Amino acid sequence: MAHDNDIAIIGWNISPMVRNTEHTEAQMLLEVITGAVTDAGITRKEVDFTCAGSCDYVAGQAFSFVQNIDAIGAWPPKRDSHVEMDGAWALYEAWLRLQMDDIDIAVAMGSGRSSTADPELIYSMEMDPYYLAPLGADAMSFAAIQARALLDAGKVTERQMAEVAARTRRDGKSRDYNQVTGDFDVDALLATDYVRAPLRRHDLPPITDGACAMVIARADKARELCENPIWITGFAHYSELHNPGMRDLRSSNSTTLAAKAAGIEEGPIEVAEIQSAFTHEEPLLVEALGLGPDTVINPSGGPQAANPIMATGLVRIAEAAGQIRDNGKHRTLGHSTSGPCLQQNLVCILEGGK
Amino acid sequence: MAGTVESTIKFPYKRSLGPVLGAFMTALTEQRIMGIRSGGRVIVPPLEWDPDTGVELAHDFVDVGPAGTVESWTWVAKPTAQHPLDHPFAFALVKLDGADTALMHAVDAGSIDAMSTGMRVAPRWKAERKGHITDLDAFVPGETPETHEGGGAEEPVTMMDYDATITYRIPTTANQLRSDQASEQGRFLGLKCPICNRTYTGGRGYCPIDAIELGEEHEVDLPQKGVITNYTIITPTPYPGQTATEPFSRVHVWLDGTDVVLGYQTLLDVPNDDVHIGMRVEAVWASEGEKVDKDPRMEGNLIGFLPTGEPDNTDPDLVNRLH
Ligand SMILES: [Zn+2]
Repeated sequence: MAHDNDIAIIGWNISPMVRNTEHTEAQMLLEVITGAVTDAGITRKEVDFTCAGSCDYVAGQAFSFVQNIDAIGAWPPKRDSHVEMDGAWALYEAWLRLQMDDIDIAVAMGSGRSSTADPELIYSMEMDPYYLAPLGADAMSFAAIQARALLDAGKVTERQMAEVAARTRRDGKSRDYNQVTGDFDVDALLATDYVRAPLRRHDLPPITDGACAMVIARADKARELCENPIWITGFAHYSELHNPGMRDLRSSNSTTLAAKAAGIEEGPIEVAEIQSAFTHEEPLLVEALGLGPDTVINPSGGPQAANPIMATGLVRIAEAAGQIRDNGKHRTLGHSTSGPCLQQNLVCILEGGK
Repeated sequence: MAGTVESTIKFPYKRSLGPVLGAFMTALTEQRIMGIRSGGRVIVPPLEWDPDTGVELAHDFVDVGPAGTVESWTWVAKPTAQHPLDHPFAFALVKLDGADTALMHAVDAGSIDAMSTGMRVAPRWKAERKGHITDLDAFVPGETPETHEGGGAEEPVTMMDYDATITYRIPTTANQLRSDQASEQGRFLGLKCPICNRTYTGGRGYCPIDAIELGEEHEVDLPQKGVITNYTIITPTPYPGQTATEPFSRVHVWLDGTDVVLGYQTLLDVPNDDVHIGMRVEAVWASEGEKVDKDPRMEGNLIGFLPTGEPDNTDPDLVNRLH
């Protein structure tokens, strides 16, 4: 099943997910990188390439990623890169870089402290600067508009959305790092007021500070270092038009294309960890991925239980990997998304075995 | 938590609009909403490229609306400072009559009960229009636009302003706090790494070489004297926050017996022509609690560095010590 030029996940670490961290972003990364390389049974010295995902607008500082390099232990100098995207895309770049065949081990990471400013104000700055940003168009409003499009189309109900919130936050109790978990009564949730109609408070992700790091290696090195490498058998991302007014919000074409390109149809997916930050996004993404009722969705609690912007997607892939290493699963999926109303979508398919 | 530092960052962007967005913004000043033809479709707001193929579109503009239909919407009960209205409103996707795509904008409906998918809305224009998406003040329920006397811009609109402001509250780490306190007392606090023996300033809390945490047990007081390893003469250009008007120097100071080079420091009482590498300098601090007129970017109570008058350090490699 694994080929000589395949690449495998051999270690990772997820930080505590909190509303207000006292750590700097570099300190958060320091801890998760140490955790990830320890998990992989290596040291920083053996890492040939690093790629980080973070956001200057979230950090409140231009070139904030330069300080984060301190967490890597970049002496002697390392090959390093950065994406202004979720750590899942940093992993994608690291995966591509290893395929150049000249180096063996890479670390990908994602980090963000959303607590330091109002995420609503930050998000709108990242939108189209002519038509959307000057309106202060924020993530919650975009999500609410897409939720209503799905409700109007009969593709989801407000009760289903509340059920997603209750299920994921109940399942999220299984992870010590999570931020918002517990047992919630669906009828009680539905009795609460809208925050941004048709979204209620339970439909929204928490505001989270956190980080995640992951170690990947080429096949020979992965087998040498790891008894049970988790193979990345498919990895793809697609993007759609930016402006949500020009898209059909009742579907997610880029998700479907990414899933097909990653080879989702080659076998059943036992667990999918998807970046459905808003409850209505779960049924939409599950349909776009073509998953059936046998696939378990977000047993970690997903972004509903902890939503560290810039790391949420990488945490999904780490959780999907954990299902294979620690929970006996064979084929799982991690998904990440970016942009208003699920503009861009990434699918990473993982398999166990030698 | 040790505390937070609050800082407000302004983002005063000026953007050029180009031939398509410029035409759209100019039409807004004339209280018209304009789309662009792309194959058989009319795209509103107009794009420069065919969204399906990426091919550049001919500038075949067409007026749409003025009224349109709400395709989806949300109710904003508590607007942010960046939202177009300061009272509760709807954000909606409005498909204007004659358009094939929807324009996102505000609907000033008064109440959530007045909103529904499929409702008809028309634009309410601002009295003062400058070629900006908010010249369209908001949509209002109904078929009738609310317009004003008077024409549009005298010249085609080519630029637009986008001003955003975000306030950050950055937590201060315990290391940073102790470093700040030392600075208030006229001391440089360093952190000495037990692995590589390098010394760091500024309370960053880790060794970037060995990637280990450094804390209170690794703290050391650093010397007050050092040598200039490099410098630059800055000719001020106007930008927000720049108050200097005459050229001034910034120097890198390598503190004696350490690995610490403090970058971009203020050098006091030295004419720009006399600044040179190898000059011996000493830190000058304001006394605790004293209010001084100093560069706000300098740490704590450090005013800057003064020459000691000692003979120069003539090591030719000094220039390479930038950090
Ligand atoms: Zn060290």
